[in-house]
Amino acid sequence: MDKTASQDNFLQLIQANKGIIIKICNSYCKNTHDREDLAQEIVYNLWKAGKDFNPDYKFSTWMYRVALNVAISFYRNGKRSLPLSALCDVHINIQEPTAPGAATDENVQLLLQFISELKELDKALVLLWLESKSYKEISEILGISETNVATRISRSKEKLKQRFLTTKNN
Amino acid sequence: MLDIELNAIWKQYDEKLEQARLLNLQSWALNLQSFEMHQKLKVNSTLGKLANYKIVLVVLGIAWVFLLGFLVLHSLVWSKVFFVVSVSAIAVITFVAVVVYIRQVMLLKDISNTDSVIKAQEKLSRLQTGTIRIARILFLQSPFYCTWFLTVDMIRGNPLAFWLITVPVFLLFGVLSIWLFFNINIKNAHKKWFQLLFSSREWTALLEAQAFYNEIEDFKKELDIK
Repeated sequence: MDKTASQDNFLQLIQANKGIIIKICNSYCKNTHDREDLAQEIVYNLWKAGKDFNPDYKFSTWMYRVALNVAISFYRNGKRSLPLSALCDVHINIQEPTAPGAATDENVQLLLQFISELKELDKALVLLWLESKSYKEISEILGISETNVATRISRSKEKLKQRFLTTKNN
Repeated sequence: MLDIELNAIWKQYDEKLEQARLLNLQSWALNLQSFEMHQKLKVNSTLGKLANYKIVLVVLGIAWVFLLGFLVLHSLVWSKVFFVVSVSAIAVITFVAVVVYIRQVMLLKDISNTDSVIKAQEKLSRLQTGTIRIARILFLQSPFYCTWFLTVDMIRGNPLAFWLITVPVFLLFGVLSIWLFFNINIKNAHKKWFQLLFSSREWTALLEAQAFYNEIEDFKKELDIK
């Protein structure tokens, strides 16, 4: 496969799964600038890791692994590994979820807020569950057992529901 | 609230994202040229820099061990017994530190974002907390820097200085280095002496890495289903 075809394939795959990146960026970063940096970092790392992609696995599983690892490291280090100037021609625009035209529904806002309050790993778990990933796939992405996934999801869901209940009652 | 309601809110979020055209096609127009440039910049990434830094330390460490070994082999006479013992001890401790560094470089090379989240993040946290292990080992060398220059003739010529100055200083450094070896631990990171030894930035990063490592360990534990 030549370079252009390889690039086209990559872009198509990214295009088909771009929602994953946006949601991860919105969950792990508070401001637009950081979200854009993180999105660029994720796409760059996906491209970099592309040669290691094993077609026996689902693309989304592999993509989630890379995206979440980059997001968690980005969040923990509070900085990007690449200077933004190096990526200036690969600008990715991610608006604030509250910006006009973006998700403005109160429940959506609350859900995003409650997710952002979770610990990094719980956040990843909840994102995957909300994305309707099976317990098996979540366990493959995160590297914990399916039983553990089930128990932890159950606890995280309870936390989210409790937060909704408390907020609505107040 | 039911699970289905949470899912419905998430679906709503999906729809809003699509409606808002946040996922603009043009904004994803990545070009191969840029990516190739980024590939070249790989060495400038944080992990790349760290790996290079550690490789340089490994090379310098090995060179230092060889130099010390060479000096020891050419000093095997009774009059230089202090030099031989001290330099040998420094060489052995440096060698151990180099081995730890090599393991860290291997760990660095083994870190991949395509690993499962837990595996990749665990390796990163282990790498960060591992730097403290090297500091502990290297402190053990300190007493031998107080004795390498001694000779049998020096002691014979001035035994009082040897027993009243050199020996107490050696013992002091010995006790201190052993104490540090056992006490340089992330559990003591809040103590003043620890903060004096390590810069605050380094200390904060270590604490955060350890806290996250504990979080990972906790996350891996199977929970009871209630």
